[in-house]
Amino acid sequence: MNKPEHAVQRRIVLDVNGLSAGWGPVRVIHDLDLKVSSGERVGIVGLNGHGKSTLFQAIAGLTGWQRGSILLEGHQVGRTRSQGPGRYTHLVVRRGLALIPQGDEIFHGLTVEEHLDSGAFTRRAWSERSERKKKVLAIFQPLQKLMKVPVGRLSGGERRMVAIGRGLMADASLFLVDEPSLGLAPKIGKAVIEALLAVELGDSAMVIAEQNVGLLEGRVDRIIGMHAGKLKGEASVLLPHA
Amino acid sequence: MDFGLVITNAITLACIYGTLAIGLSITWSSLGLVNMAYGFIFALSGYGAWLASLYISSSAPVIFAAGILTGALGGIVVCLCAFIPIHDKPSFPIRGLTAALAISLAGNELLMWIFGPRAKSLPQLFGFWKVNIFGVVVTSDKAGTVVSALFLLTLVLLWMRSSRRGLEIRAMMMNPHAASIVGIGVRSTSIYVMIMTGGLAGLAAVVLAQTYWISPFSGITPMIKGLSIALVGGLGSVPGAVAGALLLGVNEALTAALLGGQYVLITQFLLIILILILRPRGIAGILDRAREA
Repeated sequence: MNKPEHAVQRRIVLDVNGLSAGWGPVRVIHDLDLKVSSGERVGIVGLNGHGKSTLFQAIAGLTGWQRGSILLEGHQVGRTRSQGPGRYTHLVVRRGLALIPQGDEIFHGLTVEEHLDSGAFTRRAWSERSERKKKVLAIFQPLQKLMKVPVGRLSGGERRMVAIGRGLMADASLFLVDEPSLGLAPKIGKAVIEALLAVELGDSAMVIAEQNVGLLEGRVDRIIGMHAGKLKGEASVLLPHA
Repeated sequence: MDFGLVITNAITLACIYGTLAIGLSITWSSLGLVNMAYGFIFALSGYGAWLASLYISSSAPVIFAAGILTGALGGIVVCLCAFIPIHDKPSFPIRGLTAALAISLAGNELLMWIFGPRAKSLPQLFGFWKVNIFGVVVTSDKAGTVVSALFLLTLVLLWMRSSRRGLEIRAMMMNPHAASIVGIGVRSTSIYVMIMTGGLAGLAAVVLAQTYWISPFSGITPMIKGLSIALVGGLGSVPGAVAGALLLGVNEALTAALLGGQYVLITQFLLIILILILRPRGIAGILDRAREA
């Protein structure tokens, strides 16, 4: 472990049990279990189409259907449901989830500044949004002079920074980052990941899904492989102090 | 032909229909609902204003407030019946359209049942005066219409620019999926949208009642015009709706002056078809500075 051991007792931020999820007749996630504790950085690697994004979307309640238990900070946010994707997502987000989705999902007409504001929709984050913006801008310095520019006019790398910055604005206990290097030139993708790994987590946890193992190797607390809707490899790793 | 009259008529009509178009446009792009009940909200707020003028006071602020409040109330009713129960069901756009249309039809009949078919009129709110601006005679009702519509629209747009709720609504207009990801609740935001757009319909109803009558079906034509302006402007774009309103207002006033009032809808829809053939995304396609996501 390249992280100093904290004296404080770690708590479990995310506890997924027996989760299955999918779209229509297709089942993508098969009885999956996952535990993430505070202060931890977890990488999930796997090929395209093996359920990394669907796992994140299921945690956010965005899949077509799902069943199984998802405890976020001890609160049940997983529901057995067969429709209504996204209906409860905002409630999950208010419980402390920040999802940084694949493909950015930006608001193309809002400026960078408004965009960052829109990431701070939980009550506490909204009142602290100017300090939070400063922190995000310190991480993604190229955004500083783009604050008044509509996001639709930015380049791919800048958009990714905005999308990640928007996620970091939230007062979240769990950050889910989906393929931060996807679609970017290798150099820019690497820079984005560097910035992401430099974020101080404090009490929260971060799960990064990535296809490129090399970008994460040795720099996250553990790496879990994902194959055919199941977690492989280090999935059963014991939590420190747990 | 009196060009002054054409211009003032065009601007007045543009203000009224533009207000409706912006309301419809915002509802469509943020909620995905083609609010076919807008005509009903329009007629309902006319009656609200009329009742207020009868039983409370016939002063202008009271009548305006009554119209806008009734419109907002109508918006809440439509939201509760046609949006919240069905918004996450499959094929919502067509279901929502049907539900809103049903509310419109039932509501109009209800108004007919309660108030009868006889048209009602509101007292003149803006007085009886005229000003002469560079040889163009502007009557009080026209000036009042333009000023009040511009005032309320500016207020609404400023609120949408600067407030947190406004940011929510704009975010939802641009990407509803991403909006839920950042924690914006679709259902709570929908109430705000419908209150706001309902209030805009209420304002349009009060100012249009200065020239026309209030009747159970008086909302249908303004709604169709508002919808076509919203289409020309590019659904979901406020500047596009403003430009579309000006264009169609000029067209309506010119056609009425040159050919006669019965040809207005014909030239209007020919113009709309032409614009949508040339610019499929409407006028907004020209104005938009940002690339689509």
